[in-house]
Amino acid sequence: MPATTVAKLVDTSLCIGCKACEVACQEWNDQEFTLGVFNNTYQTQPDLTPSFWNLIKFNEHVDDGVNSWLMAKYQCMHCADPGCLKACPAPGAIVQLPNGIVDFKQDNCIGCGYCITGCPFDVPRLSPTSKKVYKCSLCSDRVGAGMTPACIRTCPTNCLTFGSRTDLVQLAQIRTAELKEDGFKDAGVYDGPGVGGTNVMYVLKHASEPEKYGLPKDPRIPWTVSLWKGPLKWVANAAFLGTAVGAMLHYLKFGPKETHDDDEVA
Amino acid sequence: MTTKSLERFSFAERVSHWTSALCFLYAAFTGLALWSPRLFWLSGVFGGGETVRAWHPWGGLFFALALGVMFRRWVGQMQLDEDDEIWLAKSHLYAQHIEAGMPETGRFNGGQKMMFWLQSASAFFLLLSGLVIWFPEVAPRSARLIAILLHPICAAVSMGGIMVHFYMSTLAVPGSMGAMIGGKVTAGWAKSHHGKWFREVSGR
Ligand code: HEM
Ligand code: SF4
Ligand code: SF4
Repeated sequence: MPATTVAKLVDTSLCIGCKACEVACQEWNDQEFTLGVFNNTYQTQPDLTPSFWNLIKFNEHVDDGVNSWLMAKYQCMHCADPGCLKACPAPGAIVQLPNGIVDFKQDNCIGCGYCITGCPFDVPRLSPTSKKVYKCSLCSDRVGAGMTPACIRTCPTNCLTFGSRTDLVQLAQIRTAELKEDGFKDAGVYDGPGVGGTNVMYVLKHASEPEKYGLPKDPRIPWTVSLWKGPLKWVANAAFLGTAVGAMLHYLKFGPKETHDDDEVA
Repeated sequence: MTTKSLERFSFAERVSHWTSALCFLYAAFTGLALWSPRLFWLSGVFGGGETVRAWHPWGGLFFALALGVMFRRWVGQMQLDEDDEIWLAKSHLYAQHIEAGMPETGRFNGGQKMMFWLQSASAFFLLLSGLVIWFPEVAPRSARLIAILLHPICAAVSMGGIMVHFYMSTLAVPGSMGAMIGGKVTAGWAKSHHGKWFREVSGR
């Protein structure tokens, strides 16, 4: 039996911005919190860092003159077709487990940063000290031992749910229908079909405008990355081979250029 | 036995040529280690993946510097003249060793001049794109997206060019390698391969 694909559902309509998941993530992954930038918002810090893998974005939003926050949990999406993995040159530095988790193995990482360019969600962070990249592992270690990820375990509002992807897709649809009934006509599911589906999915009140949550509208592996890792390899390999074979054939057919008057002394 | 009586490449020219060649080979093979996970084993030859990641850009930088020195020295002599254009148009004859109808060439023939421009241009773009990939946390994403494509394209073009250059200078035109190592060629060699240059330097 193939391993079931695990997933995390973030129902953004239920997030109260308590940041318990941020703390749980730091605790479980034994991450030291370094006070970041304070820029007059409630958001912990502006961005993910090599030692901060899960950030609740407090996106400010004005609807009919009413201010609100569109909370969005920002972390690795565990793509089915991960751009990071496509870009990575080091075998074993990025692994996609049978359960769908995309994990970085720092022991094999060489710190080239290609994965940062390959990721459509701008997630991996390069540590200036260790020269390795880091990101959310979906608590691969906990999941492997039958536990739920730390953020999910700690969420007080059921905003976060963990389970099999199939179950969670259903739950997401139920939640979307409920939101629609409550008058959020634009409610919907965000799960990155352009990257084969993400194993971190969102229920959004404003599904047609994911940018408001800081999520890319139509996430895809950048075409330059696909070209680089796909056709370019084959074209270039063929060109190398062609040049080598061409040189050999040339030599066999025409031989070396001759030097005349070689006995003439200048 | 004939004596190698004509100086073809000065000591300074040979030093800058071989400095850039060695740096190029280092950059090319360490670069190839990252070209595909299937070639990653190459990184073991150069001290492991982390070492390659750290030193490839420096190898590339020194290559670019050495090439810059060569560029300054040779750019004046590498301008295409009318004869070069005729030569290039008839280069298929040159490839078949047919001499009738080929114009005499100066110090460098049209093909060598084209190689010079090809390598200079690709080195320039390798340097630009290489600097961008070197610092992924500093370079803007849009620049990185172009650079990760441009760098291997230029690398492939220059490596392809170097394969041709290597073939020409070792097997195809005997005597060339000696010219770049010892610096000297025989009068016959000069007359056969660079007639115009021969007349200039020998006064005959
Ligand atoms: C001119 C200065 C150069 C700089 C600053 C530079 C920099 C870089 C950097 C930063 C990388 C990413 C991985 C790493 O750090 O090792 C890279 C990859 C690479 N470089 Fe360079 N490089 C330069 C010149 C060259 C040259 C001369 C060649 C060979 C012709 C070359 C071939 C490659 C290749 C094949 C890759 C892997 C591309 C891929 O992943 O598809 N580079 N370079
Ligand atoms: S979100 Fe980025 S880092 Fe995470 S799996 Fe997808 S491509 Fe990789
Ligand atoms: S930084 Fe590490 S994980 Fe990212 S692409 Fe390079 S080797 Fe792979």
